[in-house]
Amino acid sequence: MPEITDEQRKQLEEKIKNMSPEELKQFQKQQCVFCQIVAGKIPSKKVYEDDKCIAVLDINPAAKGHLLIMPKEHYTIMPQIPEKEMAHLFLVSKHLSQIILKTLKVSGTNIFVANGPAAGQRAQHFMLHLIPRKEGDKLMDNPDKLIDANLRAKVKELIEPRLNALLGVKKEVQQTLPSAPEPSTEPIKEDKQVEEAEWKEVEEEKEASQKPAKKSSKSKSKTAKEPKASAGKKSKKSVDKAPEPATEDDNDNASLDDIANLFR
Amino acid sequence: MKCEYCDLVERQNELEILYEDKDVVIAIKDFCVIPGQITVFPKQHFTILETVPDDVLQKCFLMANKVSVAIFESMGVQGTNLLVSNGLGAGQKVPHFSIEVIPRREGDGLNLQWPTKEMSEDDRETAFLMLKEDASKLVDIGKKKEAPKEEKKEEKISDKTEKGEKKENYLLKSLRRLP
Repeated sequence: MPEITDEQRKQLEEKIKNMSPEELKQFQKQQCVFCQIVAGKIPSKKVYEDDKCIAVLDINPAAKGHLLIMPKEHYTIMPQIPEKEMAHLFLVSKHLSQIILKTLKVSGTNIFVANGPAAGQRAQHFMLHLIPRKEGDKLMDNPDKLIDANLRAKVKELIEPRLNALLGVKKEVQQTLPSAPEPSTEPIKEDKQVEEAEWKEVEEEKEASQKPAKKSSKSKSKTAKEPKASAGKKSKKSVDKAPEPATEDDNDNASLDDIANLFR
Repeated sequence: MKCEYCDLVERQNELEILYEDKDVVIAIKDFCVIPGQITVFPKQHFTILETVPDDVLQKCFLMANKVSVAIFESMGVQGTNLLVSNGLGAGQKVPHFSIEVIPRREGDGLNLQWPTKEMSEDDRETAFLMLKEDASKLVDIGKKKEAPKEEKKEEKISDKTEKGEKKENYLLKSLRRLP
């Protein structure tokens, strides 16, 4: 992107501020290199294409035959993608992985997804890396460590309520009653309620538990603490649907949208 | 010797299993690259990605996405990675297909990036043509269970179809480009 003057930037910011979500999406799309690759405006080595996705050779490959599989539609991160489309992407990756194994005669493949710059995401278009691997190539090589049982219990405590809520929405009877849990005839439902209640408690305790939990040392304290709030806010929303890029004015709130926004 | 993940399912340790249904298990392993890492795997024993049935595979990934969201919202991290290590060459340690969901923070020191591999334009081109040729046999992924794919030993195989001719051209082209 060429350099722009302060004045131009101001104008641009103003313009972006006044855009409707549709316009904003359109704008992002125009700015996105990968959308232009999808549209064929930028040349690429296209290996596979169907109505939903496209697979091209990475121009900065980790290995020979490193593929990028991306949806044709512009999404920044994984949770924004409709389930059906995501399922399709991974199915395509399975088939392409098979082809890589056979054709390039490698002994393995990695499927790699990065959500957020901290995870190594460099493009603002969601993509799935399919990396051919050979023994001793030193890629993605991370030693396993034994994680202390207490720490694992903490992890479980932290994540379980949220995960259950997310999975519950999709699978089980979804009648969350805000009232206190009462012995119900249906064990599943009861569990659900208890979990809801527990979750709230955990939410409150989280700040306390966060510190001893782990590795908050390196992260900025702001991001370590804030998700509690945003998680609480979001929980009642439908989680089945991908979060819309709602314009949250609170910048300190690290939410999925903010991760997406970091790219803007 | 039993498979580590099948074993995990069998021993039903409260601490390890986060979620389980007839197809998918979500677990916290004792050995991982970073605390907070969650593993999603099919309940039935499948060795590698290619052997996992489509519907189970899709379910695994949709679950992995939910795990990723849950990690993000409840553990105060800045990003997540999904990583599938498929095959020995990719560092797969347990012979049971799994998806690792890894919480990420700036400066956590994990090696999940790669330097660009230097290679000649010819190498790129041959890899591209070979993959493209095979990928062109993929039809209607997800619509038919068994798409006419594979059946390929060497890179030099020619069909009798008109597509075959086209492919041969690619190969000829790639041969010509070879030094």
